[in-house]
Amino acid sequence: MHATADVPMPEGHWIDVEGIRTRYYEAGTGEPIVFIYGGNFGTSESASSASTWNLNLAPLAGRFRAIAFDKLGQGETDNPQHDDYTMRAVVNHAAGFIRALGLGPVHIVGHSRGAYAAMRLTLEHHDLVRSVTMVNTGTLSPGVGTNEVVLSRPPFPPGSRECVRWVYERYSYSPGVVTEGWIDSVMHTLALPKYQESVSKIEEERLGMKLFLPQLARDKGETLQWLAEGRLQRPIQIIWGFNDQTAVLERGMELYQMVARHERRAQLHVINQSGHFPFREHPARFNALLARFVALHSEKGSA
Amino acid sequence: MGRFDKLVGGIATSGLRIDKPGCQTPTLVFLHGGIPGRTPYASSAHLWGACLEQFARERNVLALDLPGAGATGIPASGLTVDSMIAHVRASLDALGIDRCHLIGHDLGGLIALALASEQPARIAAVSTVACVAAAPSGDMIENKTFAYPPPPLWSRHSQAWALERIAYSHHPIDTALLDACMEGAAGAPHRAAQALMSTAAGIDAFNMSLAQTKARFYETCRGTGLAMPVQVIWGSDDPLGTVDQALWLFRLVAGRQSATQFHLINRNGALPFREDPAAFQQIVAAFYDETG
Repeated sequence: MHATADVPMPEGHWIDVEGIRTRYYEAGTGEPIVFIYGGNFGTSESASSASTWNLNLAPLAGRFRAIAFDKLGQGETDNPQHDDYTMRAVVNHAAGFIRALGLGPVHIVGHSRGAYAAMRLTLEHHDLVRSVTMVNTGTLSPGVGTNEVVLSRPPFPPGSRECVRWVYERYSYSPGVVTEGWIDSVMHTLALPKYQESVSKIEEERLGMKLFLPQLARDKGETLQWLAEGRLQRPIQIIWGFNDQTAVLERGMELYQMVARHERRAQLHVINQSGHFPFREHPARFNALLARFVALHSEKGSA
Repeated sequence: MGRFDKLVGGIATSGLRIDKPGCQTPTLVFLHGGIPGRTPYASSAHLWGACLEQFARERNVLALDLPGAGATGIPASGLTVDSMIAHVRASLDALGIDRCHLIGHDLGGLIALALASEQPARIAAVSTVACVAAAPSGDMIENKTFAYPPPPLWSRHSQAWALERIAYSHHPIDTALLDACMEGAAGAPHRAAQALMSTAAGIDAFNMSLAQTKARFYETCRGTGLAMPVQVIWGSDDPLGTVDQALWLFRLVAGRQSATQFHLINRNGALPFREDPAAFQQIVAAFYDETG
């Protein structure tokens, strides 16, 4: 049931997105599904990249064109120009990526911080999005996230394998889902000189505290206001790992209630025995929910 | 869509059956909700409506009329949840249904969960929908949804009133649905159920068995847990049961069954399979895509 095997990512490609060399992976043909993973640049205790979705791209490629890319300043994609380490720049880059590939309108899937980016992208660029899937996201939900409570002060040196393992095990319901392959991909990102540069910007020059977080907090107020006004106007499903201690189920319920006020085509799905990464802890369940939802809201109507 | 009539343990038993040639996957068995002779609309297999034919494009489908509903008679032991469970089990035997995925609405959901505890080898998975019957309800205030039905009970306008009360919008309550409800209300099983439920002894026997079945289900959830994947599907706007009750039903099952899921469908009341059949089918199908 748990993903113990490490599934390889599809072949990687590069594309220029308004001057940013961008790494992406795709497999399959059909309606495009674009995945945006969580986390942000410049964290030294863990580092995320498109390979977070390795258990989802290949299985969905049988019916869809499944695409995951490295966000601005993360994975192998270039760091932001002019030290613009902001969520706004991340969202603009994500929208630019979809346009550069000529994909829209896509089914967009966002997890955690990536769910915020996917939602903000949708609210600013409705023409690029056909349906929205949000997964365990404290960043987007009203109310308080508890990441700092669960993840503060790891008992291992930042950037060490042990530290990375500790972080993802704390995020997960079952420690067994944190595979060597998952940690390998995080260690690969952490070791990139460009990633270390982002760590020095965010942590040593304190751009995280001075720039990224205050601007995100301001923009989040506006984003929630937009949702409350009914600006989403796309089918949405929220998929939540029941046992997540960082983005607890109440956050998902609040987000659901917020979007369901204005959008008839809203659903909430809760997956048992799953922490923050339901698409990694129960990939078959997650992939089945996603495939059926996308088919229901496909270009051609119900499949 | 094929209606069938079969004698099961001497009881006339009916329902709808659609077989998909060559299909080897577990049969989808639909158990409708509503308490025969008491709920102010006449439920039976017809309640599932057109979604059955949609499911039949992918799987073998069977929808039973429960005892006292449609054209299924009432067992000699009376009209209780226990007699209904026993009759469903006997009907599956008689109809040659081996592995199946039970899909139960409200009381039909409780029957599905009880049967799943008894026959784990037969029941591959359980989907409950608007299953207030199995949800915890301790010291909740009285639900007034059906408190003041327009007389006469089970007339066309009284049944329309009841169904409109529990749906998010009145639009799914169409002529075909009301025609089927009128046919059910005119049938001998419904009239017999109504007679039983108009006596204090009949009501008491049913209520006792309902309480005991729930208690056994909770004991299973606390103890060994259910042996197969279970999902709880609920309309966000179900006037008969709150989202909090729905989440507690999920939590109960989830405590001992890892493959438990919870699903909310927006702008749906107590009849999601009629109110938003595409979303209902999407959710059930995603479940059997993964569970087999």
